[in-house]
Amino acid sequence: MNVSINGQKEVLTQSTLTISELLKLKNVEMPEMVSVEHNGTILERDAFGTTHIQDGDDIEFLYFMGGGAH
Amino acid sequence: MKFESKAIHSGFSQDPKHGATAVPVFQTASYAFSTAQELADVFEGHKFGHVYSRISNPTVSAFESRITELENGLGSVAVASGMAAIATAIYALTASGDEIISSTNLFGGTFHFFEDMARFGVSTRYVDIHSPLKIKQAITDKTKLIFFETIGNPKLDVPNMKAIVEIANEANIPVVVDSTLTSPYLFQAKKWGVHVVVHSATKYIGIGGTTIGGIIVDLGTFKWRNARSEAVRESAQKAGHFGFISQIRQRILTNTGNILAPFNAFLFSLGLETLSLRLDKQCQNALELAQFLGSHSKVSKVTYPGLENNPYHELAKAQFEGQFGALLTFECPTKEACFHCIDHLKMIKNMTSLGDSKTMVIHPDSTIYRTCSPEQKEAAGVNDRLIRVSVGLEHFSDIINDFNQALSA
Repeated sequence: MNVSINGQKEVLTQSTLTISELLKLKNVEMPEMVSVEHNGTILERDAFGTTHIQDGDDIEFLYFMGGGAH
Repeated sequence: MKFESKAIHSGFSQDPKHGATAVPVFQTASYAFSTAQELADVFEGHKFGHVYSRISNPTVSAFESRITELENGLGSVAVASGMAAIATAIYALTASGDEIISSTNLFGGTFHFFEDMARFGVSTRYVDIHSPLKIKQAITDKTKLIFFETIGNPKLDVPNMKAIVEIANEANIPVVVDSTLTSPYLFQAKKWGVHVVVHSATKYIGIGGTTIGGIIVDLGTFKWRNARSEAVRESAQKAGHFGFISQIRQRILTNTGNILAPFNAFLFSLGLETLSLRLDKQCQNALELAQFLGSHSKVSKVTYPGLENNPYHELAKAQFEGQFGALLTFECPTKEACFHCIDHLKMIKNMTSLGDSKTMVIHPDSTIYRTCSPEQKEAAGVNDRLIRVSVGLEHFSDIINDFNQALSA
């Protein structure tokens, strides 16, 4: 599926993927400190595992330097 | 991992370049990036990184992460002192016209800060924190938080966490708890539903009263998107679950520059490694001393939650992992008798602060509370016959012998 991640167009080979799985797939640095904006909406942390990415989605990873747990 | 192991291994594993296992002190103001795009991405928030040590620093982050792990929280921000932690949390949650609900008995510094906040249009309603009815009656549309201490200093009363959190949740108000006297070791704030916890790291977290610092922890138990505070609500629109932490770091820390110094963060990370050992010993010493003073003919009253006849004994036991802290108070018949005892102590120090390795005493009425009204002193449990003792790590027989000779002199 075609998605936009931090403004960059990307093609994902997976047919289904959650936000949590995407964080692992993209090897996102300091995942415990990242906020995720999905199609213009900031997701709650407990929704990462249940939010499925669809073709055409717009995803932004955002860091607020939270001092989160390692 | 258990608490003791997390206190040693969390937050920092080893330096990837040299293998150092102690947290390196990154004594730097700023950070260089290889490309313009990389720095732009960090500023934009698309990439993780430190840009300026007024906002974040790797050594400070390691301490923040260790505390976050120990509190089982969402995130932490370390600041220049315990008072800075309280002030920063209050600045983040309030604006002119807002109200705080606070326990009547507070550390003097916190009380004076709340009084000063009136200059900025933030008023405080002081309530009997043990009365659910009075807390409920004090809540208005302007209330933005409920504040109290895990063990009231110096009254040494113990609020019922569950009861207060339940009221706060019904009213959608965050509970901010000062856990300085209990630290993350004695009080697992998240387990009791608390939303935000603050610590003066200067006390038990640090070692030997060497270092000033504080920390604010978001336990991840409050939905900031629905917060009463407009500023935090707006922050949560941008940062989601990090709404409160982001409000602190991006706004308060950035604007006030009250971040913790890297070397102090290094010392606190080191201090956490032995926190459990030290507090176990200090709590045991405090119990021994309380029992001794309770049987002394020159002492008219002893207050320590660890004594079985203390009204908060069972509640403290349940909330503080079976322990009772290392602060106690006792009363002599007169102010003069208090001063006589303090003046004759040989090993024990007469000084402000607490949580040190050294046992220390203070006469709160003539020092920390000297500018408070008689009514304010009474609410805080202060009178001129009271001595506060922060029990240290010395052998308990030396502590008892010093008090015995000073009281008998």
